[in-house]
Amino acid sequence: MNESICVLPCNGLDKCAGDLSRRVALELTQSEEVELICPVLLNQNKTRYEKALAAGDLTVIDGCNTRCASKLAGDLDLAIKEKVNVSDVAKALDIKLGVEIRDDQDTQAVVREVLEKINSSAAEQTESEFIEPDSIEYNTFSHGKFIFKVPQSNYFFNENDCWVTISGNMARVGVSDYVQQNLSDILYVDPPEIGDKFEQFDDLGSIESSKAVFEIISPVSGTVVAVNVSLNDAPEQVNESPYEKGWLVEVHLSDFEEDQDLLHDCPAYFEFLQRKVAEIDV
Amino acid sequence: MSESTFMGVERDRIDWSPRIDFTKCNDCMDCVEFCPHQVFEVDENAKPKLKVKNPNNCVVFCRACSKTCGPDAITFPDKPETTKMIKAIRKAEKEAATDE
Ligand code: SF4
Ligand code: SF4
Repeated sequence: MNESICVLPCNGLDKCAGDLSRRVALELTQSEEVELICPVLLNQNKTRYEKALAAGDLTVIDGCNTRCASKLAGDLDLAIKEKVNVSDVAKALDIKLGVEIRDDQDTQAVVREVLEKINSSAAEQTESEFIEPDSIEYNTFSHGKFIFKVPQSNYFFNENDCWVTISGNMARVGVSDYVQQNLSDILYVDPPEIGDKFEQFDDLGSIESSKAVFEIISPVSGTVVAVNVSLNDAPEQVNESPYEKGWLVEVHLSDFEEDQDLLHDCPAYFEFLQRKVAEIDV
Repeated sequence: MSESTFMGVERDRIDWSPRIDFTKCNDCMDCVEFCPHQVFEVDENAKPKLKVKNPNNCVVFCRACSKTCGPDAITFPDKPETTKMIKAIRKAEKEAATDE
């Protein structure tokens, strides 16, 4: 854990959400351990912040879904430790931000909530109840210079390339080797909230590389009981070990039997993936 | 290229694709840039410029482009309804197959 943090806010000075990002960033810099990073200067001259970034974890504040600040960090290959999106927070509070810059109760509430989110990021979670199998055997096939791995058994997949593996009524969810190779270096994992209830095919957070954002489309329905916190410091585990160390979310299943109707088992997914890869030249 | 089926059901029997609210859309084209499946088309001379040209190229249950849309102009069909429908078609086809 690093002691200090660097804050990279959105620079949308012309709009309400951008202005709120700025206000959150300024609040944060009241603390001595926080270094504010100006996106304009960073873009011009990355070396200016090299020292600060090496010493501290990076928190990114996006104003809206255009995600300029995140994209800038991605373009410069900066590892993002944490990020918040002001517009998402406002939406969750049922507050319409609009375009106009203003300082009123609503915007103050959003600023407070964003700060709260940043400060209480270490979500509580209990010990994992998931029993990991000893070793997993894989089948592979190659396409051009790529080699794709699929486990031989005990995993189920949806056609959105997300997997689930079961132990009792607990399960773990992750992405397939295909997704990982498509995205290449994963820089950030945005997990769902512990306690969230979700249905099959709802989204369960996302993972992000400098190339793209990939939404995790849940293969099952259930409740989030844990997220893989080791990915905060090492998101590359999703690349290195997509089916094991790179698991994303641990869930309590609600109706796996029903969900299974729209899932492939390992041999079926292996076939599906071969067809898919042949079709969409990666 | 598009997948022609989803879980064994022909893709064109599944109604899943982005719906654009053109009163909100600001022509930023972020969604077009984001989606790798050629779902959208841009016609500079048309109004609106954006068109959902190949709805069946859209990955069933993907909603990713709506997250890139700043003004929140993209929506999707009801997911539980879609799931129900896919299951119903699969069941009907299975039954039809065993009847023969
Ligand atoms: S991202 Fe949204 S606003 Fe931009 S072109 Fe697409 S629908 Fe329109
Ligand atoms: S939902 Fe996914 S596949 Fe469909 S248009 Fe949007 S990004 Fe493309």
